[in-house]
Amino acid sequence: MTPLSNHDMLAGRIHDEESRQSFVNDFRVHLAGQVFPGNFPTYYNRVLPQFIKDKGREPETRHEVRRVMTHDPYYSFWSAMQRNSQEMIWDSVIDSVERQLPELIDKSRKAGDKGSLTLDPDLEIPKYHVAADIHLQPGAYHSDQIEDDVAAGAMYDLGTYIYSMGGLGTGNNALGQITHGFYKNEFPDAKPTRVLDMGCTIGGSITYWAQQMPDTECHAIDVGAPVLRYGHARAEALGAAVHFSQQNAEKTNFEDGSFDVVMSHILLHETSRTAIQNVFDESYRLLKPGGVMMHMDLPQAHGQAPLEGFLFEWEIYNNNEHFFAQLRDMDMVELCRKAGFKDENIHPKSAGSFWMEDQTPYADDGFEFPITIGIK
Amino acid sequence: MADDDQKKIKLPRTAKGKKPQYFADPTVDKLLSMVLTLMGELSVTRDRLDTVERLIENNGLFKVDDIEHYEIPDDVNTIRTERRGAYIARVLKTVQDELDSLQQKGDGKNTELED
Repeated sequence: MTPLSNHDMLAGRIHDEESRQSFVNDFRVHLAGQVFPGNFPTYYNRVLPQFIKDKGREPETRHEVRRVMTHDPYYSFWSAMQRNSQEMIWDSVIDSVERQLPELIDKSRKAGDKGSLTLDPDLEIPKYHVAADIHLQPGAYHSDQIEDDVAAGAMYDLGTYIYSMGGLGTGNNALGQITHGFYKNEFPDAKPTRVLDMGCTIGGSITYWAQQMPDTECHAIDVGAPVLRYGHARAEALGAAVHFSQQNAEKTNFEDGSFDVVMSHILLHETSRTAIQNVFDESYRLLKPGGVMMHMDLPQAHGQAPLEGFLFEWEIYNNNEHFFAQLRDMDMVELCRKAGFKDENIHPKSAGSFWMEDQTPYADDGFEFPITIGIK
Repeated sequence: MADDDQKKIKLPRTAKGKKPQYFADPTVDKLLSMVLTLMGELSVTRDRLDTVERLIENNGLFKVDDIEHYEIPDDVNTIRTERRGAYIARVLKTVQDELDSLQQKGDGKNTELED
């Protein structure tokens, strides 16, 4: 695998750690390229004919496909290996982080002050964060294992790169590259003075924005203290000024009408039915008149065939992405309307790696993320 | 660097949340986890061996045949024993996970240990 670009906060990897992480990456590449595609002939040659024989018709929904495919031995074996590979990602990076944690904490305490870090130890961590460890990252994004902990951030930086099989780019910032390129194209004359990224984890996306727009005041919030400490130190190590604060995107302490851009990068599907409306309401409150809300998330169910829709939902049931099951069918335009955006200012769009400036191996894969745009 | 009195941190290794069962017999789930872990560890070992062989060749330090007649000193034996223990624990992690959850220990909470 192409190594992640080094920076001062990135946990170093000794020989066997690096080898183990490379194995997990290569194993996932094999699963994606060689094993996963077998689910299609399995369905069309075995599962579908049996379904038609039993019911006299084809499955009409992804839920019907799930009920039969999850009993198929080929699908089950792929699914079990895919789940194991996700657990192996974290297992392969924990050694590096655990070994160097005191040094990483020390570095984060001595991080620069181009940006800032504001933590709120009294912040209530929302239920949707506490119920299960999202993406199977042991300890989750918000748990401190020791004072001034940065472990969750350090694991996230190494782990998400393996998760994406390098697709997040060697700077781990592909999503920020996409929203930045998309924004510049959609709003070529905009000169934002203040932008906010909600649910930033280690700030990969907002740090890219800050690097591209050094005169713009860049803010980033998340509920997780260890990812924010790491994110702040990471941004400083990369020479970027980002103001990180520990806040819930449902209700922040920023003033009304104080941002030109309020955005998120695949945050929404980690929230809840109540929280997602709160996030849209809060986005509207924070925008200046003419300001732009941009929430990028994963594709929804409409327009997907039953088999495609079912396969796309693997992470919901196998990788602790529970709210995504509901988000798949939600009306994003209606969320915008309820938040206060006028119909003519609501634009459901999509953007993919086409907009990336730093081309990665996945830059031409054609995959597009929906982006819900609201202009105040 | 870590001070002598600094606590050694042990990070949680198992994610909170219900783990799906993929096969009718849960034993098969465990065996698959073990096989995949072994695949990984064998790959790591081969990488390491490859590194060693290349370094030997690059530096002309000793003959590969010396490896065949190596006598293991006590301190090396201790190190190898520890490493084998960690290796076995890694492969059998799936068994330990079940034991931990039975003992209600696998809740992802802080597990700091004194040095």
